Amino acid sequence: MVEAFVPKNLEECLLRLNHNDYEIVAGGTDALIQNRSHTSMPIGFKKPVIYLSLLEDLKYIRQIDNRIHIGANISLESILESEITPKILKDIIIEMASPAIRHTATLAGNICNASPAGDSLVGLYLLDALLEVQSYQNKRYVLLKDFITGVRRIDLLKNEMITEIIIPNLDFTDCYFRKVGPRLSDAISKLSFAGAYKLEANIIKDIRLAFGAVNTTVVRNKEIEKKYINKLVSDLKNNVENLVKLYEPFIKPIDDQRSNKEYRKEICFNLIREFVDKI
Amino acid sequence: MKINFKLNNELVELDTTPNRRLLDVLRDDFGLTGVKEGCGEGECGACAVLLNHQIVNSCCTPLANCIDKEIITIEGFSKTKRYQVIKDAYAKLGGVQCGFCTPGMIIATESLLNKNPKPTINEIKIALSGNLCRCTGYNLIVEAIVEAARVGEGLW
Amino acid sequence: MKDISTPINKVDNEEKISGKAIYVADVKIPGMLYAFTKRSTIAKGKIVKRRYPNLPEGYFIVDYKDIPGKNIVKVIFDDMPVFAESLITYLYEPIALVVGPQKEIVLKIIDEIEIEYLEEVPNFDWNDSVVHYHFDKGLGALAFKENQIIEYNYETPYQEQAYIEPQGFIGYLNGDKITLKGSIQCPYYVKNAVLQTLGFAEDKVRVIQTTVGGAFGGKEEFPSLMACQLAVAILKAKKPIQLVYEREEDMLVTTKRHPSKIRFQASIKDGRIFGLKVHVGIDGGANIGLSGVVLSRAMLACSGAYTFEHLDVSGDVYRTNTVPNGAFRGFGAPQMLFAVEMFIEHVAKDLGKDPLEYRISILAKQGDLTATNGLYRDPILMPSMIEKAIKISDYRNKLEMYSNSNLYKGIGMSLFFHGCGFTGSGEAKHIKAKVKLVKKSSKVEILIAAVDMGQGVKTTFRKLVASILDIDIEDVIFNNPDTDFVPDSGPTVASRTMMIVGGLVSRAALDMKQQWDNDFLVIEKQYEQPEYIKYDEETFTGDAYPAYSWGVNIVEVEVDRYTYQVKIVKTWSVYDCGKAIDERVVLGQADGGLAQGIAYGYLEVMEHKLGKILQKNMTDYIIPTAMDMCPMETVLFDNPYAYGPYGAKGVGELTLVGGAPAVAKAIENAIHRRVFKIPVTPEYIMKLVKQNED
Repeated sequence: MVEAFVPKNLEECLLRLNHNDYEIVAGGTDALIQNRSHTSMPIGFKKPVIYLSLLEDLKYIRQIDNRIHIGANISLESILESEITPKILKDIIIEMASPAIRHTATLAGNICNASPAGDSLVGLYLLDALLEVQSYQNKRYVLLKDFITGVRRIDLLKNEMITEIIIPNLDFTDCYFRKVGPRLSDAISKLSFAGAYKLEANIIKDIRLAFGAVNTTVVRNKEIEKKYINKLVSDLKNNVENLVKLYEPFIKPIDDQRSNKEYRKEICFNLIREFVDKI
Repeated sequence: MKINFKLNNELVELDTTPNRRLLDVLRDDFGLTGVKEGCGEGECGACAVLLNHQIVNSCCTPLANCIDKEIITIEGFSKTKRYQVIKDAYAKLGGVQCGFCTPGMIIATESLLNKNPKPTINEIKIALSGNLCRCTGYNLIVEAIVEAARVGEGLW
Repeated sequence: MKDISTPINKVDNEEKISGKAIYVADVKIPGMLYAFTKRSTIAKGKIVKRRYPNLPEGYFIVDYKDIPGKNIVKVIFDDMPVFAESLITYLYEPIALVVGPQKEIVLKIIDEIEIEYLEEVPNFDWNDSVVHYHFDKGLGALAFKENQIIEYNYETPYQEQAYIEPQGFIGYLNGDKITLKGSIQCPYYVKNAVLQTLGFAEDKVRVIQTTVGGAFGGKEEFPSLMACQLAVAILKAKKPIQLVYEREEDMLVTTKRHPSKIRFQASIKDGRIFGLKVHVGIDGGANIGLSGVVLSRAMLACSGAYTFEHLDVSGDVYRTNTVPNGAFRGFGAPQMLFAVEMFIEHVAKDLGKDPLEYRISILAKQGDLTATNGLYRDPILMPSMIEKAIKISDYRNKLEMYSNSNLYKGIGMSLFFHGCGFTGSGEAKHIKAKVKLVKKSSKVEILIAAVDMGQGVKTTFRKLVASILDIDIEDVIFNNPDTDFVPDSGPTVASRTMMIVGGLVSRAALDMKQQWDNDFLVIEKQYEQPEYIKYDEETFTGDAYPAYSWGVNIVEVEVDRYTYQVKIVKTWSVYDCGKAIDERVVLGQADGGLAQGIAYGYLEVMEHKLGKILQKNMTDYIIPTAMDMCPMETVLFDNPYAYGPYGAKGVGELTLVGGAPAVAKAIENAIHRRVFKIPVTPEYIMKLVKQNED
């Protein structure tokens, strides 16, 4: 039987983390499925477990200056309901899973899962999310894009946990999320896209594109985006195919039981075209 | 480990590992078989219960997450006035066929109306989006919820 | 006197809504053991050696050696073993049950059982025909001499029933009698199969239906396999045992809708279809089981809602080393109706005709000969049903608008029928349904083997009897069938329950009414085929069905021009099922059936790779959620059938069989390309759109 701990506060939790290699469980909606056993049997965890169930102190979302700080243990639905949550994140969360899942799942959980198809990750990459990672001895900050190193691989030490996600409070002219799944809710994405831009008169001041499920991690390329800063919108709109071509080498989807690579690639390009069309 | 929570309006204490699915605890320890297992992976919603009055899938909720919280299953909810209104609406509109998804649908209905007493059709569909039904095609269930909201005005 | 169709509160609403209804996994028997199945890890080969571990006290391994009777599950064609003996013919074929008090230990034993295989090369190609049928009408093949021929090929996939309650049984020994309770459609199929496997006398096996959480055909014949395995295990362990599948196991190993490949050829003369030649191939999987009947029904549906004078129809069931396929609402008709509806549309366009006008001109009429030279004896209301459907949907205007624009919107109409009752001579020769009504002072009990799996049988039958006897519905009893008490009224399949069994029950009730003064009364009735229904199964000649139900489905879609995802905007349907015994029940069936039929056409993907089903859970096998559904408008036409109670015909399957062609045609209309297979997924649409315009 695997051991389980339910710390009463963050300090207790971090102290416990120093002892062993633990499975950290927040909502549990991914962890319980990944470690599933059989009906009426205990969950098949392979490591001792720390539950964040009592860590109310990590359930917050607040704005400090121009940044939004999201506690690691707040549920997706609570983030969705908060007034200070950026629109793009709301657009993403409403399309994730189902209300039941959203009532207990957390962003930190999604991040540590590091699934290439993770919807929330697409939005967080778009916003250059920063993570606060703590151990009992140490606190560090790491960009999400550096934290996720591959398919289900993260830069997290055994005695560490994510305690906060920090995103800037940006002012976009428009932003949206496009989830392409097999049905209209309750589904894992075949691919997904988040786009945002800021215009001043007809000049592009900020443009961001991020793609999910078309590579081992979310695709976001600042080099490509930089090419369009301070350029005329019309320049971009008249040369959409150039933009598509620039992204081509980074779009490397796979075949699986949900879809095939030809479709994912083609639709990815279509979503770029649609994004530019809509500007 | 001693685990305390409120279940269907009663304080309960279990001495068991928190590494158990809430679904199994409810069905096996408390005999609450109104909570069903349809898929075991949080997809079908047949196992749905209210945790602090919000719908969750008990098949992917660890018992640990119930500590000091309140759980309501269909058995507990069926003793309320709101249930009567919802039940009558489902019966009137024909929203029940094989019945396996139904307790989960009732829980989804309560979770919605508790927060949003006058939902639009789209909001109802979003609220039901995690509850699969293979028999009804959903429309009669959506209509039942519209009816429940109408008839039960003031209850939510 | 209220019209029978007027809806009433369903009699089982209370128990289902409150969570009190007992499904098989809810049943607990003290001291019960749990069973898991040891399955093959190869798709084809032989078991060369078995090594069973030493077992702790109270644990048992149950295999073919423990079978007292026959190691064959009684289905229609008896070729499915209860436990594999030495031959393995599909991946996950059951080899043994392991039973015991603690699941952890049972699972450990399963792992410890070592099976040594001699692996062989599995066959997944459709080249091993194990059933071949053929029939002609009119000139048959001769209709094809010297005429222009138009040929197209169509394909349909697996479809998974995806009932929300997985399959399961619980059973126990009572003296020398075995009782099995389970989620089933056919109590007597199960009882007879277990009798054969145990070699027991008729009164030593009892089968009781627990509340069924959806079935759709998936619990028609498959449960017999589980029941036989469980019965053998109970005999060995002498303790109650529960055998309930979890979702993944259920999806990997239970029967699915037969995939099909259908070739249609039309012989053209004077600018019209002179004759049709059809070949349908279906993948039976590793066993034949009831695939022969599925093939028959598919072949019989080849003329669709139309009459063709000359037909040359053939079909094959192919054996492959994949999980055996079986019954699913529609039973061969959805496959064929997709193909014939698309074909007539495609041919009409090739001939420069308006497809709808052409189809209306060849609609079957009362007095026409069916595909098998039977007779459409009863009125067919299709022309007015089509008119109604067109009116409520504004079909013609929308079709024109969408055909001539780049809106990526489309509308499609399917016309279809469904033969009610067991295909061919089934009712008269094999089933011979029996019903019983028992009166005890003021209460009447209905004793039939029909199972309420959500389609409302408990409500409609109690309503039927109450109405005929003019008593309160509260005084009519209908408990879940228990073979100790109910006669064999046949399986709950083939849209036969209301028409055939209900017909018998209503005649019994009428008899009872004549003798109502008696305090205690038992009325029994047995099915007698109406004189004029004659059918020769060998030659496919005569009346394959006693009656037909008819339908029209119209589906409107929007296709996303960037992602090719399909959104169902709205549907309109018109059905003739004779007479609705409860209108709300029928409308509920209509919604649910159409949702399944449409999803079969555009959403549900199930494939196998080297014999393994790739979509093995509800995450990967996509069925519609509430968000995917659209408003559905349904109109029922009355067209009473003389031998059905109050004129009722079959409706259970009718509402599914037209969905796929309707949505496929709507998508064709939206993307201006022709569709030849389902599901019409975004991936397929993308491929079509990139081809040249049609």
